[in-house]
Amino acid sequence: MSTTVVTTLVLVVLQLATFLLFAPLLAATIRRTKARLQSRRGAALVQPYRDLAKWWGKAPLVGGPAGRVARLAPAVVLAALVTASLLIPFAAVRPPLNGWGDLFVVVGLLALARFALALAALDAGSAFGGMGASRDMAISSLAEPGLVLALAGAALAAGSSNLATISAFGSQQGLGLLGPAHLLAAAAFGIILVAETGHQPVDNPDTHLELTMVHEGMLLEASGRSLATLVFGSELKLVLLAALFAAAFLPFGAATEIAPGPLLVGTIVGLGKLLLVGQILALLDASVAKMRILALPDLIGAASLLALAGLGMQLLLTP
Amino acid sequence: MAWLLGATAGAFTLASGAALVRPIARLSPALSTAGGIAAALFGVALLAGGGPLDARADALFLGFSALDVHFDGLSGVFLLALGISATAASLSIAGTRARSSLEAAAFPAFLLSMVLVLGAANGFAFLFAWELMALLSALLVTGLRPSRAVVSAGYLYVAMTHVATAAILVAFAVLIAATGGQLDFAAWQAAAPSMPAATRDVVFLLALVGFGTKAGALPLHAWLPRAHPVAPSHVSAVMSGVMIKIGIYGLIRIVIDVMGGGPDWWGLTILVVGALSAVLGVLYALMQHDLKRLLAFHSIENIGIILLGIGSALILAAHGATALAALALTAALFHSVNHAVFKTLLFLGAGAVLHATRLRDLNRLGGLGRAMPVTALSFGIGAAAISGLPPLNGFASEWLTFQGLLGTAGTGAVPPLFQFAAAATIGALALTAALAVACFVKATGITFLGLPRSTEAAAAGETRRPAQAAMALLAAACVVLGLGAGVVTDALMTVSQVVIGVVPAQPVDLAAVVSLPRSGPAATYAALAGGSLLLVAVAGLVLLVGRARLRTRRVDTWTCGIAPQPAFQYTATSFAKPIRLFFRRVLLPERQVDVEYHPGTRFPVSIRYRSEITLVLEDRLFRRGHELSIRLAQVARRLQNGAIQLYLAYTVVAVLILLLFAR
Repeated sequence: MSTTVVTTLVLVVLQLATFLLFAPLLAATIRRTKARLQSRRGAALVQPYRDLAKWWGKAPLVGGPAGRVARLAPAVVLAALVTASLLIPFAAVRPPLNGWGDLFVVVGLLALARFALALAALDAGSAFGGMGASRDMAISSLAEPGLVLALAGAALAAGSSNLATISAFGSQQGLGLLGPAHLLAAAAFGIILVAETGHQPVDNPDTHLELTMVHEGMLLEASGRSLATLVFGSELKLVLLAALFAAAFLPFGAATEIAPGPLLVGTIVGLGKLLLVGQILALLDASVAKMRILALPDLIGAASLLALAGLGMQLLLTP
Repeated sequence: MAWLLGATAGAFTLASGAALVRPIARLSPALSTAGGIAAALFGVALLAGGGPLDARADALFLGFSALDVHFDGLSGVFLLALGISATAASLSIAGTRARSSLEAAAFPAFLLSMVLVLGAANGFAFLFAWELMALLSALLVTGLRPSRAVVSAGYLYVAMTHVATAAILVAFAVLIAATGGQLDFAAWQAAAPSMPAATRDVVFLLALVGFGTKAGALPLHAWLPRAHPVAPSHVSAVMSGVMIKIGIYGLIRIVIDVMGGGPDWWGLTILVVGALSAVLGVLYALMQHDLKRLLAFHSIENIGIILLGIGSALILAAHGATALAALALTAALFHSVNHAVFKTLLFLGAGAVLHATRLRDLNRLGGLGRAMPVTALSFGIGAAAISGLPPLNGFASEWLTFQGLLGTAGTGAVPPLFQFAAAATIGALALTAALAVACFVKATGITFLGLPRSTEAAAAGETRRPAQAAMALLAAACVVLGLGAGVVTDALMTVSQVVIGVVPAQPVDLAAVVSLPRSGPAATYAALAGGSLLLVAVAGLVLLVGRARLRTRRVDTWTCGIAPQPAFQYTATSFAKPIRLFFRRVLLPERQVDVEYHPGTRFPVSIRYRSEITLVLEDRLFRRGHELSIRLAQVARRLQNGAIQLYLAYTVVAVLILLLFAR
């Protein structure tokens, strides 16, 4: 095997291990902080792992007419997210599968996960599945232009839609990166991050009140391994989007060369960034009320406009 | 290669003839399937570098002009699309009895007329084939004994298709005048660079109106969502999959190939039309609960996406970035082929549902997946492909379209305002893609998943074998074109480099490689590797997740403690409600709720809910146009009083005028 293949394999294993092991912990830290802010003690940090293990071993219940779609969709959701996670730079400025796909491929894989999850939600013929799917589709329809425009801004600045190029460009620019175009795009991405991961004020991740559920509504009929897969998928999606944010807008600290030392530093700094994003989400969860669903276009639409303004700035300031 | 053209034309002609002879009428679909296969192979041969195929007729047709043909790579792209779509559509009707033998004969003839349009080498041949295509498709839409609703849709279609023909006719007349009476495309092409700017602009605008109407681009789309639902499913499949793409072919042939592109505002105009068609097309599609009407609106959306590629290609070519322009055009060509595949598939799926349940109303469907597994799986793959999801073909061409737009936004030679327009269009395309996902979750989920919402849906059975095979074939094509996107784009890139005029043509060795001019390594999408990885991951996880050691128990779906009923489920209308409200300023929804109570109480006997959106362009713009044309028709009627002598007198006057001025 040539050295590039070995490097790729090592990076793939490293990134998969980091993301898959860390995803439940990130969810746990958010819940812990939220509990502390609400003067509760909160569950132990290993609780999400325990939950996943418990569901994994439980006998699955299949609701009413649900069939193959409900059974297979969780695998598609997680496979799409795992594939996407290998295309995002994390410890180094290059992603493990360098050149396999750019930002549009990542966005496409996220859409595939959404498509499969929404279909699974409709399979059991439950009102709540339909409700969750319908709302999730509406919210992400608003969010996707903002997400793509924000990333396109970073791509225009770097000169390529390859995330490796974007990330390398950012870390090479250092503080010079923090221009108006960059800040506007980063702000837009921040709003999208909240919307896409289902945190307040867009969705309440802890609610099981039927009439307000979005993401939870889609999981209502899932059980056993399916539920474990889907919950783990949503935890991974948060890691993925936060890592995407870091790669495009805060690429400081990522290794520019592939060697054990820089990769270790890059991983630690990367995890630090993820934890930081998580703490901000926890703060939002504890302090902001959920918005009426009809008011969401004002918030999420603003992200598209911010990103577009950023793109304009980018074109204006480029010689 | 000439034998492939011969096989195509021969098979379609035989199919048409066979349909008229009762004892062998059943052979017609098979012959027409063979014609489709030959057309696809012919297209592949042209793409694989078989070189152009010319045939010059020595005799003048109608004493006027020769029907010369010239098939090149650009024709090949659309022949491939036509071939795939025609094969599947013809296969799907194998073994059925047509409504009438004349309609059965018209279908292969319609397919052949499109082959002729793609090969026409001069203005006369083009218009002749074009008109043949328009009339035959109109016959296929309305049928021989149409009902009132069908007549109204048919009239609108005939009227608008003639607006298109008229615009193209005038555009050709301008070109003929500018070249001193030449009819050949080649002569026009040679003379195009030296034509006055005003002439070129007029030709462009007329071509955009003419071909745009045929393609169903906004705001000239009104015929499309009406004609498709009333046509038989295999006809709507080909009309939506291929015929509207013939409009795209015409636009590329005349504006980019013959005229050699133009000033950048041409591209911007097409970009704006494309963005509007894409976003409004998908928004209107989401609001439909008639499955075929929903698919028809999606055709408008996809034409919009194709136009985004053409628009950015024109802008880039106008500023000398020809390599990127060829890439953007490749995106348009690839999406044309892909849309032909998955739209044919989806219309055949809708046809299968219609056949099984006699229903097109999504709100009465549901749960068909168990009774119709092949249809459901194929439709699901088609839905994922049209939604632009990796690793399928729709994603690959949308990815290229995104790259074309990003390239336009990132090219320094392009004026900043145009750069910004391209950047904003990236947002429009992302919005379109996301709404398409929502729409096809709705279309697939409400039709095939959950509980049946009517007795017809509950009693449905799988569709006929040939139709299943046709759909499975197209679903496989979605996967193959998606994973093999690299090979396909290489071939298409060669075509677009010739059309754009990249000299010398650069060989493209890597799958899909894009590099913005400013800096940095190319952006890549390794379709085969990435797609395979994804599929392997899915398979692995299916094994892991699906193989629980414990026994699966089937329980009632949770409905807060009461027995589940189909009416508890979300319907197509309720599924789209958040989006209807989010975009209420565009869609202008109206709703009406009628509640009837038991006398003297507040207990409802019945509740009727009706919700409709306003199609602003059609309801406001077209009503005006309609009124105006009625008034003009009343004026024109004075010239047309039915006396044959008067008409002959008109002819004499016309000949006199021609003698005076044209001689």
